[in-house]
Amino acid sequence: MNKLKVNYSYMISLTLSIVIALLIGAILIIATGHSPSEGYGAMLEGVFGNSRVLGNTIAKSLNLCLTALAMAVAAKAGMFNVGGEGQLYLGGLAATMVGVVFQDLSPVVVIPCALIAATVVGGAFAWIPAWLRVRLNISEVITTIMLNSAAIFFCKYLVNGPLKSTEKGVVAATENVYAFKMAQLIPASNLTTALFYSAAIALCVWYVMGKTTIGLEMKVTGENPRFSGFVGLEKDKMMIWSMIASGAICGIVGMMEVYGIHGRFTENISNEFYFDGMLLAMIMNYNPFGIIAMSFFFGILKIGAYAMELSTGISGEISQIIFAIIIFLMAAQSGFKQYFSKKFIKLKGEQQNG
Amino acid sequence: MKIDNIDNIVEFKNVSMQFPGVLANDNVSFGIKSGEIFALVGENGAGKSTLMNILYGINNPTSGEVYIKGKKVENFSPTEAIENGIGMVHQHFMLVPSFTVAENIVLSKEPRKAGFIYNKSKAIEVAENLVEEYGLKVNPRDIVSETSVGIQQRVEILKTLYRGADVLILDEPTAVLTPSETKELFAVIKRVVKELGMTVIIITHKLYEVMAISDRVGVMRQGKLVGVSETKDVDEKKLASMMVGREVLLEKLEKTGSPGKLKIKVDNLYVADNRGLPSVNGVNFEIREGEILGIAAIEGNGQSELVEAITGLRHIESGHVYIEDKDAKELNARQIRNAGVAHIPEDRISTGVSGPSSILENLIIGKERRSQFSVKGIHLRQSSIRRYADDLFKKFDIRGAGVDTRVESLSGGNMQKVVVAREFSYDTPILIIAQPTRGVDIGAMEFIHDKIVEKRNNGAAILLVSADLDEVFRLSDRIITLYEGKITGEFKSGEISKMDIGYYMTGDRREGTDE
Repeated sequence: MNKLKVNYSYMISLTLSIVIALLIGAILIIATGHSPSEGYGAMLEGVFGNSRVLGNTIAKSLNLCLTALAMAVAAKAGMFNVGGEGQLYLGGLAATMVGVVFQDLSPVVVIPCALIAATVVGGAFAWIPAWLRVRLNISEVITTIMLNSAAIFFCKYLVNGPLKSTEKGVVAATENVYAFKMAQLIPASNLTTALFYSAAIALCVWYVMGKTTIGLEMKVTGENPRFSGFVGLEKDKMMIWSMIASGAICGIVGMMEVYGIHGRFTENISNEFYFDGMLLAMIMNYNPFGIIAMSFFFGILKIGAYAMELSTGISGEISQIIFAIIIFLMAAQSGFKQYFSKKFIKLKGEQQNG
Repeated sequence: MKIDNIDNIVEFKNVSMQFPGVLANDNVSFGIKSGEIFALVGENGAGKSTLMNILYGINNPTSGEVYIKGKKVENFSPTEAIENGIGMVHQHFMLVPSFTVAENIVLSKEPRKAGFIYNKSKAIEVAENLVEEYGLKVNPRDIVSETSVGIQQRVEILKTLYRGADVLILDEPTAVLTPSETKELFAVIKRVVKELGMTVIIITHKLYEVMAISDRVGVMRQGKLVGVSETKDVDEKKLASMMVGREVLLEKLEKTGSPGKLKIKVDNLYVADNRGLPSVNGVNFEIREGEILGIAAIEGNGQSELVEAITGLRHIESGHVYIEDKDAKELNARQIRNAGVAHIPEDRISTGVSGPSSILENLIIGKERRSQFSVKGIHLRQSSIRRYADDLFKKFDIRGAGVDTRVESLSGGNMQKVVVAREFSYDTPILIIAQPTRGVDIGAMEFIHDKIVEKRNNGAAILLVSADLDEVFRLSDRIITLYEGKITGEFKSGEISKMDIGYYMTGDRREGTDE
């Protein structure tokens, strides 16, 4: 059961990893001829400096949070969904098309319809690799990676082809979606009413995964699929539905990019957002609560990096490096832990005997 | 420091091994004499394997000293252990399945041409010489995955001998063997000790084997060495009580009542194995309430596939399995469970439990949608689940730090108790039980046997499949023998001896009995 039991040793490892990563980041900043306080200061300034950047940070965090939860939902049931990026694109495209087709209707109708369209299309696109895995035992890792390219290039084709008009340029056909843009909660920022949808989804995922029979069955299926079938759980169904849920969440993220930020469909609605989410989910061991909490830290790092680069000239890639170091250390944590606990026990044993 | 007894080829001095949270070996001191067969017995988790892993360099002790041939060894690895003449055959074989027998034997010390090219013909020659020398019959050209477990074990032993071992550690070598294979193995062990002066340390649960083969025996309990004595000075009963720390009464189980209504009927059943080859070939039997039907068969004679077919985990090619009045052919595993069948699988680690999940999760799964444990089958009632799991944890005497412990951290016996606790608490009229006490210590075995007989006395219809003939004889009311997927004999309990049933298990029906 996913009780809110704090795994202390995990928390300690995580905190240590973050501190070490930030220290190494500081060294790199020094190496580029700047001072770390200047760099990290600019980062914080760029994140909390005014309400507009704060809004952007929160929006980025929500995006990370949802993509990470999408990853976690599938991973809990033993499905490794690498295809979130493609599901995101197609979900965004479907939502856009709703706005294009129903351009005369009220946003009260259009936005829920767009949400539904994104959910269905994102989910359906994730169903393909799930079905292939369950029925034909084809690795979902490979199929999802390949389907990413299929989806993204399909969107690129549409954007540069059918959705283009000669007079107004690229994606003119979807520009009327701008009329349905979600209201900004903080003026001029990316933080829109999408916040409420995101919060609802996050809450829902956390509840289902931690508090319900379905969450328990998913967890057991992910941890030992053979056992799951043996005790009479419908493991195939569970694996397929967890993947569909994952794809649906990605689709919604795509919808929120279109309706919340761009106001139209572009070929860059996502900048590998899902891959950032995947890493976050893995760092947090697919724990929904942990993901929700940590998404803000990573949101700060992401947004802060742009600000730092703009105001100080320190390359924003530093944030990527910090990201990578944290992942590296967390991946190695169980090994480190074993090593140190062995040392510790040996030391204690020697003290007792000596 | 000097050692006390120069004859001892291996000497443990105050060896302790602390794992996080567990003191696996607690101040263990004893020696093993050169050229003896030393049996190390104890319950699961008593620390036998840990101690042998120390000798083999897998674990380094937290404190204490280990001497091999009078030389103190410290911080050493299996590689160094092998150099010191220690060889170990693990419970789970460490062979490369797709390699040939000869390749597995020479692996890590392959004969080479020009320094780096693997010399295949030389490898076969080496293997053949070893086979000749030690009398362990294997075909060096066979692919390991296509050989039986008995053969694989011989390959493991030959591998250690090839590397020059003179101290051979065997970790539960007979757990996977048939009675006749065990006999052969013991003959080989006795010969290598006598003729080649080897020293053999054998870890086992089976006390009659200790009596049959060892010169001396050491008993461990909860990490401590309870005692070492000459085998001729002890008997099985004494050893059992030393192991468990109390009297063990592996005596007659009280069976009451007589068979009632027909519960399960297998009718001309045909099932294929994983490769699609016929595995169960026209099997018929019935089980009534209040009886245990035991299947005696050597591994790989269709019993696993039979069990899987009955429980809906394997496709039925033709024939029928009737569970009360339902045809199992039309049901999936979930529906068969709902029809009243509980199942203890033969492989608990891969099938019977979810290792990374907690004991609580393993106990509750399958029942989580009952209204007792969830609101409308969705929202989990945490406190009621916890109470239920705690209760089962106590009732089935599972020994661990509590219901939140990961199952994979439990010993084999306790893991099996988790499986038994879950399956028996379904309270189904039919139980399909495969290898209920494989790798389980004598205390847990006694407990599980009692629970099985209790179920039977309460009217359950039970199918028991076990590679342990003692178990089949002890528990069953009726016994059938299976050979190559066909029933070769059917007996009432007490009608046949263990030795005689071996003929039926090997398909070698005695003349005149039929056909």
